[in-house]
Amino acid sequence: MNAAEGRIRLTVLGGYLGSGKTTWLRHQLHEGRLRGAHVIVNEAAETPVDDALLGRSSTLSVLAGGCVCCAARQDLIDLLRRISDERSKVEGGAARLEQIVLETSGLADPGPIVEAIRSDPVLVYHVVVSEVIVAVDALHSLSQLRGEPLGRRQIEVADRLIVTKVDQVAQGPLQTLLATLSCLNPGAGLSGAVQGVDSPLPDFSEAEPERLPETDQLSPKAPVTPVRLHLDDSIDWTAFTVWLSALLHARGDDIVRVKGVVRTPTGRLLLQTVRKVVQTPEILPEQGDMREDNMIVVIGRGYKAEHLRRSLQYFARRSD
Amino acid sequence: MCSACGFPAAPGHWTEAGAPTAHDRLRSRMRRAEVLQAVLPFYGLKAYGGGEVPGIQISALSGGESILRDLDEVWALAEKMSGGPVDPLDPRFTGDE
Repeated sequence: MNAAEGRIRLTVLGGYLGSGKTTWLRHQLHEGRLRGAHVIVNEAAETPVDDALLGRSSTLSVLAGGCVCCAARQDLIDLLRRISDERSKVEGGAARLEQIVLETSGLADPGPIVEAIRSDPVLVYHVVVSEVIVAVDALHSLSQLRGEPLGRRQIEVADRLIVTKVDQVAQGPLQTLLATLSCLNPGAGLSGAVQGVDSPLPDFSEAEPERLPETDQLSPKAPVTPVRLHLDDSIDWTAFTVWLSALLHARGDDIVRVKGVVRTPTGRLLLQTVRKVVQTPEILPEQGDMREDNMIVVIGRGYKAEHLRRSLQYFARRSD
Repeated sequence: MCSACGFPAAPGHWTEAGAPTAHDRLRSRMRRAEVLQAVLPFYGLKAYGGGEVPGIQISALSGGESILRDLDEVWALAEKMSGGPVDPLDPRFTGDE
């Protein structure tokens, strides 16, 4: 009997907003490394986007509208109980679910999630947390670690750290990041990835870790919260891009993440940004759940939702 | 995204992803100039909607003209000329002024 003792192995996949969790997971599913796994995607906003990317790969559940580490914790427990219950009803010879992958929202602290699952009197007999994997954005994480206590908590609880986007940073800063990660969590395995594909990491044994301020010395910041923006018929793609590109230029340090599916003459475009970096939009097929098309989620701090809406309307108004 | 597990990417600068045909691109350039013209004069700049030039034509109200490749360059120029970024959440754009 292994450590799971017949229980479902649960992998928690965490990481800060835009760290590349979904990209990494999508590639693992494509490669067949998580064959048969039930994937649970949690998004802090009520607009799920990541399921559009993962939906064709696996059994998928979406928990949207709150982080499973806090507001939606009971929803997660209920879902895991349902999955466990259905598995218990599977007859002896039939294949049973062996693995669950929980992709947390970028605002989630994996620690309380693991604690909630381990302390649930029912789940303890059905589910075992086998690994906590945390994606770390090579491009942005050092600046996050300097100012965001959440980013550090995510790294500290990881069993394995996947450093993503390693092709987008120079060797020196990457070595500093790796030394810093190794200092924050010496026990975690470290590996690199580019677009979900394994990528070798440089030797960092001689690199100095960044001296991070103590988390209690960080100046308190407003919490990062999601705002939903509906792009109605009065908002065209061109006006929206002028507005968003200006917004990211001016406030890219506070607008941590933007994502959503926008309908354009090209088709359904998946739009994703991480701070000031905008990913090349992907063209999604005309299928799946399209009810949330044209609903953009802006995750950040330092502004009012109403101001975002009014400003976008200003940019999109027509002169005639 | 990897070509095997991802969806196809729209080519070009991300802001141009929504215009697949030459006609769409021309219309989008005209519209972009219109939107910019509602914003840039506050920062001492003017945008032109000339469809014959692929870049973004910007002139300073004080004189001088530039053809810029994309919106990132527009915002960088506007910031340089006015001493601060074009902030869409400025009260003049949110109606709080």
